[in-house]
Amino acid sequence: MDRRNFIKLTAITGTSATLASCGNPEHQLIRFVPDEDLVPGVAEWKPSVCPMCAAGCGINVRVMEADVETTRSGQAGVVKMAVAKKLEGNAKDAISRGGLCARGQASIQITYHPDRLTHPLKRTGARGTGAFKEITWDEAIGELTGQLDALAASRDQKSLAFLTRPHRGRRTALAGEFLKAFGAPAPIAYELFADDVLRRANGISFGHEQLPTIDFARSRFAISFGADFLGTWNSPVAQSVSYAAMRQGRPGVRGGFVQVESRMSLTGASADEWVPVKPGTEGVLALGLAHVILANKLRPADAGRAGAAIDGWSSGLPDYTPARVEQLTGVTAKTIERLARTLVEQQPAVAFVAGPPLAQTNGLFHALAVNALNQLLGNVGQPGGTGFTAGSTKDEGRSLKSDTLASAKALLLDGANPVYDAPKAWKVRDSLAAIPFIASFGSFIDDTSAHADLILPDHSFLESWVDSAPESGSMDAVPTSAGPVMKPLYQTRATPDVLIEVAAKLKTPVALPWKTAEDVAKSAPAAASAQSAISNLQSALKYVAPAFDGEASQYPFYFLPYASLQFGDGSSAHLPWLQEMPDPLTSAMWSSWVEINPQTAERLQLAQGDLVDITSSQGTLRAPVMLFPGIAPDMVAMPVGQGHDTFTRYASGRGANPIAILAPATEPETGTLAWAATRVKITRAGDGDGRLIMFGGEMREHPHEHETR
Amino acid sequence: MRPSRAQGLGLRAWPTLSALSLKPLALVVFLTASACSSPPPAEVSSSVFTPAHRTTGEAARDFFAIRPTAVQPIPFPHKTHLEKKAVCADCHESADKGPIAGIPSVKTCMICHSQIATDKPLIKQVTGYSEKGIEIPWQRVYGFTREAHVRFNHAPHIRASVDCATCHGDLAKQTVAERVVNHSMGFCVNCHKQKSASNDCLTCHF
Repeated sequence: MDRRNFIKLTAITGTSATLASCGNPEHQLIRFVPDEDLVPGVAEWKPSVCPMCAAGCGINVRVMEADVETTRSGQAGVVKMAVAKKLEGNAKDAISRGGLCARGQASIQITYHPDRLTHPLKRTGARGTGAFKEITWDEAIGELTGQLDALAASRDQKSLAFLTRPHRGRRTALAGEFLKAFGAPAPIAYELFADDVLRRANGISFGHEQLPTIDFARSRFAISFGADFLGTWNSPVAQSVSYAAMRQGRPGVRGGFVQVESRMSLTGASADEWVPVKPGTEGVLALGLAHVILANKLRPADAGRAGAAIDGWSSGLPDYTPARVEQLTGVTAKTIERLARTLVEQQPAVAFVAGPPLAQTNGLFHALAVNALNQLLGNVGQPGGTGFTAGSTKDEGRSLKSDTLASAKALLLDGANPVYDAPKAWKVRDSLAAIPFIASFGSFIDDTSAHADLILPDHSFLESWVDSAPESGSMDAVPTSAGPVMKPLYQTRATPDVLIEVAAKLKTPVALPWKTAEDVAKSAPAAASAQSAISNLQSALKYVAPAFDGEASQYPFYFLPYASLQFGDGSSAHLPWLQEMPDPLTSAMWSSWVEINPQTAERLQLAQGDLVDITSSQGTLRAPVMLFPGIAPDMVAMPVGQGHDTFTRYASGRGANPIAILAPATEPETGTLAWAATRVKITRAGDGDGRLIMFGGEMREHPHEHETR
Repeated sequence: MRPSRAQGLGLRAWPTLSALSLKPLALVVFLTASACSSPPPAEVSSSVFTPAHRTTGEAARDFFAIRPTAVQPIPFPHKTHLEKKAVCADCHESADKGPIAGIPSVKTCMICHSQIATDKPLIKQVTGYSEKGIEIPWQRVYGFTREAHVRFNHAPHIRASVDCATCHGDLAKQTVAERVVNHSMGFCVNCHKQKSASNDCLTCHF
């Protein structure tokens, strides 16, 4: 957006002329009569829900009148509209408690993005060339209805696929009802950083197949195994507010916090103690702590179902002595003893695990181990411990695998971008080429919707009925629905309304229980509760070393693609405020980079900013070096989010996508992608060419300062 | 580039621009109001310098705060409406609600003129705008230059029972609104002093 347009949108002059128009109306824009009654210069705050992740933070939106450029009956002009100007957390919301993370703050840019789709589009050139022409809504709905009618006529209803992201609330319920009544399979819900391993473990250990809510505020000690809970994991705003209370909310009491991980995350940077551990052994450490507690009879030994899931629990975990755990994890026996005693002394203490440890082939083991440790510490369902939001319902989507789209004849895309965020080995792009008809409801052309034949752009969330029913973040259930805070700026339509209209216009109409998007947002779920009969394991699990793709001799480094604070899994890379936001640990912006331990870099003769090729068994990508002390010497890490082929002017062709070289390793119980299980090799590709942009200086320390001679 | 927007965003261009300008220093010619009625002249451009104004004349006018008299599309008679017992707030609705009093939308005119005097040619013009869904392009009469950094807020003045005529003149004697009261800083400060309203700089300049 250039400055002139931005200023137009935030004008507060409120009258139809400016001083400098020379008093001559001929040089002015036409001003259309507004559709609303507006009080100029006076703002109103309206409630809504942020959609940028599944946390469902309640927000307040500041709405004020502005001049909006528009075209009516072919005439260009401006019209006054009440539009959103700023988002803030809603102080009364149980999840956000008045806070809002960077992605939530930046989400207002979705509404005003210069590359946002404003009209329905139909493909005119070859797929992927970006050649589209504007069509009317009648034509677009007619086209979509026609395609579905054709499927029904050839009895191919089962070949209709609907691809979305998980945890999108009632909207997915609508899609599910539509598909069921039409005769098609359930929606496919895919996201890269799914926490399904953790949900499954919670189902096994505690009978709740959902994400936990950690009561930091009343806890005295927290130990996190890889969970970036202040940055990107689960419900970061709620967790940050609660964490702040743990640290500074009680006079005289400062809860302690230890982070266990192989690469220092933003959360790890806040820890009192940072404990590096060999990747894929986090659960072993958790059981080492449990062993010390059991051996010294510091807590009652019975850990119920959670303990029973771990092989050897009832005999006191003989395989997890401090010496053996030191061997496996790299954490010294002394540290293990000390931490175990701290966990018992600082009650209530809570442990939790998420992120890279669960993205290994043995991820379920780590989750079950930490659950057992919590049960041993006696904090499950207790103040200061781990609990579960009441009344949560399970997401009923199908998962995306390499063959899920193989038999599809028509695909409806609703906000998922698997061409970008699924491993290349799943060949999603090739699958799309084989599908005769693809329609997208998204507001942008991205790597996946670039292959669409028909685009029916949704409103932005500020122009829509929104709803959320977070599965974590507060112990009380907080289902929320909120109406649009502004009228639509463009010729977009709410996707739920489009689906309802299509359902009614089919040759064999599909009956749906809702009439409008508002009905959908306000409706209550009828789906299965997440509190389920325990899914039992075949047998108690023992530690099995994680399997990595690539031989260590050929691929010497562990490769960690981590969720970035700015872009998550890449879905917000198109927002320039987030591109501009310096990464808190490196100060890099507008860039991709690979984090390498400075001693490793010295050994490989790599300087800051030098270009390297990172090669796995799946392919190669090139990125600049970022010297990063907080990473194991045999590991390299890259933030996820850049490297889009197509994703608006701000993200297209920028940086490199680490997901592209991930091996399709999976966690066997849940089938989810083990995205931390790839090994790579690094080769120098040349001097830095300026593609690494940093806000601050380089790492202050020099590798030489760490040498011991 | 539309002439009605975004002027004065950059540096004060006039002193340097006059040095670069090829025109003679006959600034008087450019200072007259009527120069605006012709289409804007060719833009001054430079590869290193982005001027705030397109011509020396515009820069000079801005510097001396010379504004032409507003030419209204329809000669709106305040006198006639006030004789019919309309009050200011009937049309300038937001005066007591916020910073901006607001020039009424054509919708407001039509509240009465969908019924009243519908045969008059001027009213037919008003109705024409309304039917096309286009606002009557009223021209601003009162206002401060951008450089004054003044943010005037009507509502506290209305609440303090300041009569509209105090700052805008006796509209009962005017047809089209004219700039009969000079809103110099002295004009504002005198009244503020008299009424013991705040004279802190930040009250108005922020």
